[in-house]
Amino acid sequence: MKKMEENPPQSPFFKGGGCAELRKPDRSHSLAPLLCKRRGWGRIFFLLLLCLLLFAPGGRAEEQAVAPPLPPVNVPSPGVDLWNEIRGREGTAADMGQVRTQVQGVDTGVLINTGGQEWREYRMQTLIPNAAMALGFVALAIVVFRLVRGRIPIKAGRSTHKIKRFSKLQRYVHWTTAALFVTLAITGIFILFGRYIVIPLFGPEIGGPLVYGLKRIHDFAGPLFAIALVLLVIFFMKGNMPKLLDLKWIAKGGGLFGGKHASSECYNAGEKGWYWIAAIAGAFVVVSGFVLDFPNFEQGRNFMTFYHWIHSIGAVVMMSVAMGHIYMGTIAMEGAFEAMATGYCDANWAKEHHDLWYEEVKDKAVPADSIEQASDPGVDSGKQKVV
Amino acid sequence: MARMKFYCDAERCIECNACVTACKNEHEVPWGVNRRRVVTIKDGQPGERSISVACMHCSDAPCQAVCPVDCFTTTADGIVIHNKDTCIGCGYCFYACPFGAPQFPSDGAFSGRGKMDKCTFCAGGPEEADNSPAEFKKYGRNRIAEGKLPLCAEMCSTKALLAGDANTIADIYRKRVVNRAASALISGSNLQKTSFQPTLVPPELEGKASATE
Repeated sequence: MKKMEENPPQSPFFKGGGCAELRKPDRSHSLAPLLCKRRGWGRIFFLLLLCLLLFAPGGRAEEQAVAPPLPPVNVPSPGVDLWNEIRGREGTAADMGQVRTQVQGVDTGVLINTGGQEWREYRMQTLIPNAAMALGFVALAIVVFRLVRGRIPIKAGRSTHKIKRFSKLQRYVHWTTAALFVTLAITGIFILFGRYIVIPLFGPEIGGPLVYGLKRIHDFAGPLFAIALVLLVIFFMKGNMPKLLDLKWIAKGGGLFGGKHASSECYNAGEKGWYWIAAIAGAFVVVSGFVLDFPNFEQGRNFMTFYHWIHSIGAVVMMSVAMGHIYMGTIAMEGAFEAMATGYCDANWAKEHHDLWYEEVKDKAVPADSIEQASDPGVDSGKQKVV
Repeated sequence: MARMKFYCDAERCIECNACVTACKNEHEVPWGVNRRRVVTIKDGQPGERSISVACMHCSDAPCQAVCPVDCFTTTADGIVIHNKDTCIGCGYCFYACPFGAPQFPSDGAFSGRGKMDKCTFCAGGPEEADNSPAEFKKYGRNRIAEGKLPLCAEMCSTKALLAGDANTIADIYRKRVVNRAASALISGSNLQKTSFQPTLVPPELEGKASATE
C-alpha cells in the first residue's frame, strides 16, 4: 500500500489521456490491493492492460447508459428580460424608445451598442489586412510591369512639334486635386496603419503628435478636395464619355502588353476609367468624409461607422488606381508627364498613343522652340503646321 | 494582483445620479463630458430598472484594439487607461465601445473634438507622477494610488454600484442573489411578477413538464 503511494508520477495511469486522469483517484483506491501483489515491469504492464480495459470506449458508453438523461426544464434566466432591454432588442422597451437618461448627449441612452463590435471586426480583420494587400498588390504589379515592359519610349523619337493637350485651367485643377489627393492618401494611410507603422517606429511620444498633425491635415484637406474634385470632374468631362471604341481598346489590353497599339481618341479607355473611378468613388469618399469630418451634427455612432465603411472602401479603391495612374503619368512613359506639366505633348507621342485625336488636332501643332520662348503657353498657336 | 471590476446591481440602483455628480466633481472633468451616466429602462413603467454605466475596463477592450495610435494600456489591475498625449481624437474608440464610455470635450467641425476622455477607474493616467497637477488636469484624481477605490462606488447610497476586486464583488453579488431567491421562496413567487425578479416557474409552464411536450 505504501509503495503504491510513493510511486505515482510515473504511474501508467497517466497514459490513459485527459479523461482517465480525471478519474484516476477513484480507480487507484479500488484497485490498490490487487496492484500491490505485483512488482516492477510486470506491475506496469498489468496496469497498462487495466487501463486499456477500463477506459475503452465501450466501457464508457455503458457507464453513461446507466444514468437516464434529465428532462429539460425550460426556465428562462431571470435576467433575460433585463438583458433584452439593455441590448435594445426588437420589441423591447429600449427598441421603442422607453429609455431615459439625465446625461444628455450623443447615444447616451444606449447601454450596449452592438454595432461597435461589428465595426471593430471590420476595421481590424477586414479593412486593414485587405487594404494592405490591395495597395501592396498594386505596388508589386507596377514593379513587375516595369521589369517586364521597361520604360515605354516614343518609338519614332521626339518630333520638332508639339500639340496643346491641356488648358492652363485644366492643369491647375488637376495639380490642385492631385496635391490634395496625395496629402489625403498619405495622412489617411497613417491613420489606417498608424499603430503598425508610426508607433513602433517613432514611439508614442513622437508618433502620437505626428499622427495628430497628419489627422488635422486630413480633416482640413478633405473639404478642399471636395471642391477640387467637383472642378476636376467638370473640366475633364469633355472627351471622357465612354464610347464603343473603348471596348476595343480594352480588348487589346491598351497595347500595354505588346502587340499592336490600340487606337484611341483624346483619352483612352484607361484614362476614362480612372476619370470615372475618381468621379464616382470620389463622390462616395467625399460625402462620407463630410459625415465623419463634422461630428457636430449629433450623428450617432452607427451612422458614422456606416459612413466609415464607405469612406475606407472608396479610399482604398481610389488609392490603388491612383498608384497606377501616377506611375503611368510620370516615369512609365516618355512624353506623358510633360503634357500635364506644360500643357503641350510631343506630336509623335500623340500619334503613337492617341492616334485618332492626333488626326483631329495635328493641324494645330506648333514648333517646340516657339513654346519655350513664349512666356505664356496659352498664346495662339494654330498657325504652324506639321507634315 | 486584483482584477478590478465595476458591477451595477439593477435591483438596487435608484437613479439618484450621485455617481455621475461625484465623478464629475472629483475629477473636474470638462464641460459636456460625463464619465459615468445612469440609464433607466422602462422609465415610469412596471419593471423600471436603472443601471449606472461607465467604462467597464474590458479584458479585450475594443477601444484598445481599434486605436490608430495604440494609446491604451491595461494595468496589472485590469484597468484600461489611455494616454492623452498620444491620443489624436479620431473618435474610433467611441465607435467601437459598446458602452459609450469614450467622450470628447468638444464636438467641433473638422473633427476638432479634442483628446478623448473616459473613466479611469480613478487610476489617473499612464505617465505622470501620481496625483501631480499635470496628471490631475488630464485625467483627474488618482485614488487608486492613494489606496482608495473609485468614488462613484464608494459613495453609492444603496451600494448598487460596486467597484473593486472581481472576486470580492462576485462574492457580494452572489450573496445578494441567493438572498433574493430565498425571499422569493418564502413570500411566494407572486412578488413583483412584472419585474425582472426570478420567477420559480414561468406562468405558461405552470403544471406542465416539458419532457411530455
